[in-house]
Amino acid sequence: MIRLDNVTKTYGLEAPAVRDASFEIAKGEFIFMVGPSGSGKSTLLRLINRQEQPERGEVWVAGQNINEIAESKVPYLRRNLGNIFQDYKLLLNKTVSENVAFALEVIGRPKHVIAQQVPAVLDLVGLADKGDRFPHQLSGGEQQRVSIARAFVNRPLILLADEPTGNLDPATGEGIMRLLERINTTGTTVVMATHDQRIVNMMRRRVVQLDRGVIVRDQERGVYD
Amino acid sequence: MLTRISYALRETWVSFRRNITLTGAAVVTSAVSLLLVGSTFLIQRAFDNLLTRWKGDVELIVYVRSDADATQIEVIKGALESQASIIDVAKLRYLNQAESYAEAEKLFAGDPGTLRLLTPANIPSQFKVVPISQDSNLIRELGEQFRNIPGVREVAYAQDVFDVVARVSQFIRVATTVMSIVLLVVAVGLIWNTVRTAMFARRREIEVMKLVGATNWFIRIPFMLEGLLQGVIGGVLSCLGLWGLNTAWSGAVADFNDTELAALVVTDGYMRFVMVILLLIGAIAGAVGSGIAASRFLDV
Repeated sequence: MIRLDNVTKTYGLEAPAVRDASFEIAKGEFIFMVGPSGSGKSTLLRLINRQEQPERGEVWVAGQNINEIAESKVPYLRRNLGNIFQDYKLLLNKTVSENVAFALEVIGRPKHVIAQQVPAVLDLVGLADKGDRFPHQLSGGEQQRVSIARAFVNRPLILLADEPTGNLDPATGEGIMRLLERINTTGTTVVMATHDQRIVNMMRRRVVQLDRGVIVRDQERGVYD
Repeated sequence: MLTRISYALRETWVSFRRNITLTGAAVVTSAVSLLLVGSTFLIQRAFDNLLTRWKGDVELIVYVRSDADATQIEVIKGALESQASIIDVAKLRYLNQAESYAEAEKLFAGDPGTLRLLTPANIPSQFKVVPISQDSNLIRELGEQFRNIPGVREVAYAQDVFDVVARVSQFIRVATTVMSIVLLVVAVGLIWNTVRTAMFARRREIEVMKLVGATNWFIRIPFMLEGLLQGVIGGVLSCLGLWGLNTAWSGAVADFNDTELAALVVTDGYMRFVMVILLLIGAIAGAVGSGIAASRFLDV
């Protein structure tokens, strides 16, 4: 589903954010990218959804070398990828339902599809009764659920989560993990960058560890370190 | 498809209203600059009307009475052609009554009263004379000789109107053209800035849109429509202003019926043509300004 071949990415004149990274992620896998801040986890995610382009190496997603596809085709690549962030990136002037519907609206889905899928996904993330609330009326965990609903409403092949539990207390974080696990069981590949040791150790999934841009460990059913 | 169109229109309108101060500034600036562009068109047209008699280096016009017979006209023509040392015989032109009437329609555009009295049957025909000699006294001397030939109604000299008017018209042309170009650039800049501000205000939304896979055109079009709308509204306002100005001017000129000023009026047909041009320029300016902004700031 995702393959990186000897990928190197440098920002400006600094030391490479990612150096010579190679790994492969199978369909339906659940994988943690771990390592301290600045170790290159987020850069890897940004390379996978083509927010960044590598200097060297190739990034393959769903059978395509995504560094060779035309700029105009990038939006269609992104429709296969759901993104979740530490800061949720919700639109504050829109309700929960509108935030989720927005993701379908801007890729031109017809109204009746939106009307059907938004309540379904809100039900999945446990916010069926909060569709009319605004983000500031929700707790952090609930806001993250909205962002997961938005990322998943289009049924992407892959979910990219960048520190999704970073702003949440442990119990709420665990709830989010259970939700991601549930989404994973539907066949969606989940790639999650985190430095939350507790969660990684609890889940016992594949762990790719980064240190200053270099992959230093790739372990099935791993722990944080 | 319908979802997309309604989305684009809704977003355009929301954004247009949200930024009312900047939008207002952009609209007013484009209106003022387009008004100047329009005035330039009208002023040039008015002077063209005024000078239309003298087009092509004509320095002397011999008007022939409307009741002159063919023989008399031949005599006048022969007399003119015999002066090959002073006038350019090859360029000597005779405008018959129908042609003279067509010219008069421009000349008396602001003076419908006079125009109504003229018909292709009672209007004088005319000889347009292009001299070789630069000596204006010589031309005047020649002209005075024709006054007494039977059938000649009147003799007119370009020198009497031409020099001053030509110079004034040239000056006004250059000045208004330069000003309107500068203002147009400013208008495009302001529209650009308004759209850029609108995009900056919505960078979060744009970021989310890009991440969920909205195409660049989908994101861009509401912003481009916003700029287009500003340009078009500016164009409409400038048309109204121009129409008002022209009406007031025509009214003022009507008080000076017997003078050359009567030619300095632009008729409705040309006015409509200028209005269409203004709307087009407004739309293009808006689309260009916002298009540049939308492309440049899409990498949020």
